[in-house]
Amino acid sequence: MRPTLRPFAVIGVALVVFGPLGLILYQSFLGEAFFSPTARFSLGAYRYVFTDSGFHSAFGTSLLVSFGMTLISVPLGSLLAFLLVRTDLPGKKLLEPWLLVPIFLSPVVLAFGYVVAVGPVGFFSLWTKALIGRVPWNLYSLYGLIVIAGLTHVPHSFLYVSSALRSLDPSVEEAARVAGAGPWRIAATVSLPLVLPSILFSGALIFLLGFELFGLPLVLGDPAGLLVLTTYLYKLTNLLGVPSYHLMAVVALAIVALTFPLVYAQRRMLRTAGRFAVIGGKGQAFRPLPLGALRWPAVGIVLLWLAVTVLLPLVGVALRSVVSQWGEGIQLSEVLTLDHFRELQGHPNLIRGILNTLLLGGIGGALSVAFYAAVGLAAHRWQSRWVSFLDYLVMLPRALPGLIVGLAFLWVFLFFKPIAPLRTTLFSLWLAYTVVWLAYGLRLISASLLQVKPELEEAARVIGARQGKVYRDVTLPLIRFGLVGSWLLMFMMFVREYSTGVYLLGPGTEVIGSLIVSLWGTGALDLISALSVIEVAAVGLILFIALRLGVRLDA
Amino acid sequence: MKKFLSGLMFLAFFAGQHSPSDAAESHPNAAAARKEGKLIIYSSTDSASVEPLLQDFKALYPFLQVEYNDLNTTEIYNRFTAESASGAGTADFMWSSAMDLQIQLASKGNALNYASPENAGLPKWAVWQNQAYGTTFEPVSIAYNKRLLPADAVPQSHADFVRLLKAKPEVFHDKIATFDPEKSGVGFLMMTQDAKVFPQFWDLAKEFGGAGAKVYTSTGAMLEKVGSGEHTLAYNIIGSYVLLRQKKDASLGLVLPRDYTLAFSRIAFISKNARNPNAAKLFLDYILSKRGQTVMSEKSLVYSIRSDVPGQITAAGLNKDLGKAVKPIEVNTDILAGLEQNKRLEFMKQWKEALRR
Repeated sequence: MRPTLRPFAVIGVALVVFGPLGLILYQSFLGEAFFSPTARFSLGAYRYVFTDSGFHSAFGTSLLVSFGMTLISVPLGSLLAFLLVRTDLPGKKLLEPWLLVPIFLSPVVLAFGYVVAVGPVGFFSLWTKALIGRVPWNLYSLYGLIVIAGLTHVPHSFLYVSSALRSLDPSVEEAARVAGAGPWRIAATVSLPLVLPSILFSGALIFLLGFELFGLPLVLGDPAGLLVLTTYLYKLTNLLGVPSYHLMAVVALAIVALTFPLVYAQRRMLRTAGRFAVIGGKGQAFRPLPLGALRWPAVGIVLLWLAVTVLLPLVGVALRSVVSQWGEGIQLSEVLTLDHFRELQGHPNLIRGILNTLLLGGIGGALSVAFYAAVGLAAHRWQSRWVSFLDYLVMLPRALPGLIVGLAFLWVFLFFKPIAPLRTTLFSLWLAYTVVWLAYGLRLISASLLQVKPELEEAARVIGARQGKVYRDVTLPLIRFGLVGSWLLMFMMFVREYSTGVYLLGPGTEVIGSLIVSLWGTGALDLISALSVIEVAAVGLILFIALRLGVRLDA
Repeated sequence: MKKFLSGLMFLAFFAGQHSPSDAAESHPNAAAARKEGKLIIYSSTDSASVEPLLQDFKALYPFLQVEYNDLNTTEIYNRFTAESASGAGTADFMWSSAMDLQIQLASKGNALNYASPENAGLPKWAVWQNQAYGTTFEPVSIAYNKRLLPADAVPQSHADFVRLLKAKPEVFHDKIATFDPEKSGVGFLMMTQDAKVFPQFWDLAKEFGGAGAKVYTSTGAMLEKVGSGEHTLAYNIIGSYVLLRQKKDASLGLVLPRDYTLAFSRIAFISKNARNPNAAKLFLDYILSKRGQTVMSEKSLVYSIRSDVPGQITAAGLNKDLGKAVKPIEVNTDILAGLEQNKRLEFMKQWKEALRR
């Protein structure tokens, strides 16, 4: 990209971000819906929210949940990434697709899986009770929520860190090994510190995601009255009878405001990006670090995490999909049935939903990655205030809770006339998804870009390549793992996504996420379970194939 | 085999009806609707349950392409208001179980004036100014787990329930589920009606607090957990959902309280700015007709509002069983009192205190 064009990339991103965000900001200063003819300027919404004790306690709970889950998922995710990418862990190729299940599974389904497995009358709880006479945990508690949120977000940090680790020059680890360091020591003092940018990005994003969690707290916390910011926001849709957009806007902005200190802290820690450039000019054959005697304990850690985070909820959902009843006093062998799967055939929109989802995830995801890559390259090695602006910018849309971001996109597509005709097409969904996951895709790409040493690009420039050619022939090929990883992540995010597009969906453009949510309301949990089993099977298969292909690129 | 038989019955059922062409010609709006060719519906009735109704409607008017949007009540309201304000197209036909939101929209001039020829078959209270129509008559019931809740602990009336909660606290501890009135508009509506009709309502709420009752926004989640035994009783569940669920889960029981049973109605109106008003009229007349209401009762398991539809899942059946104890929530602007902010917040506060939250 020519340097003069660079600001336009930033301006383009600013436009798509400030469209929905600006509307929300405007809405927060009004007394009722902005499109109502009687709407007047008012600070009443701020007054109401900031003096409401419900808001204060929900904010406190959200803060605790966010901290807790970040503390669980970042270290664990980084460790898993190191084990799977840099060592000779046995069976790692088989483990990887499973690891990513929590990313694309709808959070309400995940939570429901836990209810069936370890809820008060879950099958695992009943076994435990039969064994020791009581159930020693309480799923519906703050710590239950934090632990489950933490464990199920491990894959998010895994994806970031592993993608960075894949591009790491193995000679540095080799050097440490030759000097006598064991695998743990290498991880802690060499490999992980070198990918610190990715670790910090993932930490900041997971922290933000903690504020944005909705499905898990709705299912696990809400019945007992444990409110987080998003469920508090949900309450505001009904508390005053008609949805109180102005109050919801204020809550959303409170979460958005959190991104500023977060990005600021992250930028300070990453001042000197040069420290992290490790894809050097000299090629190195990659040799996995031998774990030696530690390989079985390492396998144990991975399997334990998998059992709690993936197996438990997945078995819960799978079990629910093949029984007509479950719970206390039910002999599961007597209630087995395949009826729920048969019933799905009678669901006319199902096939379309699956196809749309795969289309949006596969092709839409790839297009989004292309867009992120263009923006990422525009900002690459560009010392400018524009870039710091961009750093703050991209975090904003993901800070908006799903309940309000969906509305904001509906408003944008309704009231911004030039794009209004696109509202009823899959394009509107794609645009909304792309904007919301901007931070994810872009960070993944820029983290990879950070690791390309400048000398490689300079070498190309010295022999006369223009900037465009440098990017095409040097930079992009070097970050191909980052691009593929980014596409995989986008694919899974898009598969799971629902709330962003909830108001843009219509008959013909339904996606699995929306089918699940519409079934959730009236309670066909058996159908939801059957649908989710099919989803996991389909996406799992695609992931497995994609990872296989990715591995071939590795060779 | 069972599927096959029900399929046969389904066919037999339609064979007995008028042939499509008759109805298509006889309705005064049919010709105009044919020109429109399309009908857009926003509805909170889930697509699986509405399917038989749509099938039959399409059999009647094969020239209409029906776009059925299955949304939750908040989504319906948010979409409709924003789309109307922007001048973009919106639903022709609005059908939602948020009675208060529907009446509020109608009372603000969003509904088309249309005197349905089916008016005569409906109770007087179910039609508001020829704009908003109550389309169903669904008992607000108690669902319980037959397997786990002892027979002598199954409440037969609201008063009975209060008595049982006091007499057997150990049976009900952590075992009760109900709507969260703060998050669910339907839940709020039912509870405010309870408070109106039932002098001991706040006693009941306090007993809920003592029993550690859990609150939900989804009927489905409640029924799932009553089925599993995590809870053994769910209070204020719309009867139609329990019936649908009973088909799959034999352990669910249904009580229609004998002292009073609220009857709730999904409200429909035709949008004033409908692009396909004639098609919408056909659909309104269809779901209010004896034919539509019969499909609703027999296939969708949603209680019919017409007194001339025979059977159990009908207003006639409920009135026969419960007599004067049936208390319909009327379709008129009285319901808007619940949207009055101070009263609403006062109610929520009292509820939270009772629940010790």
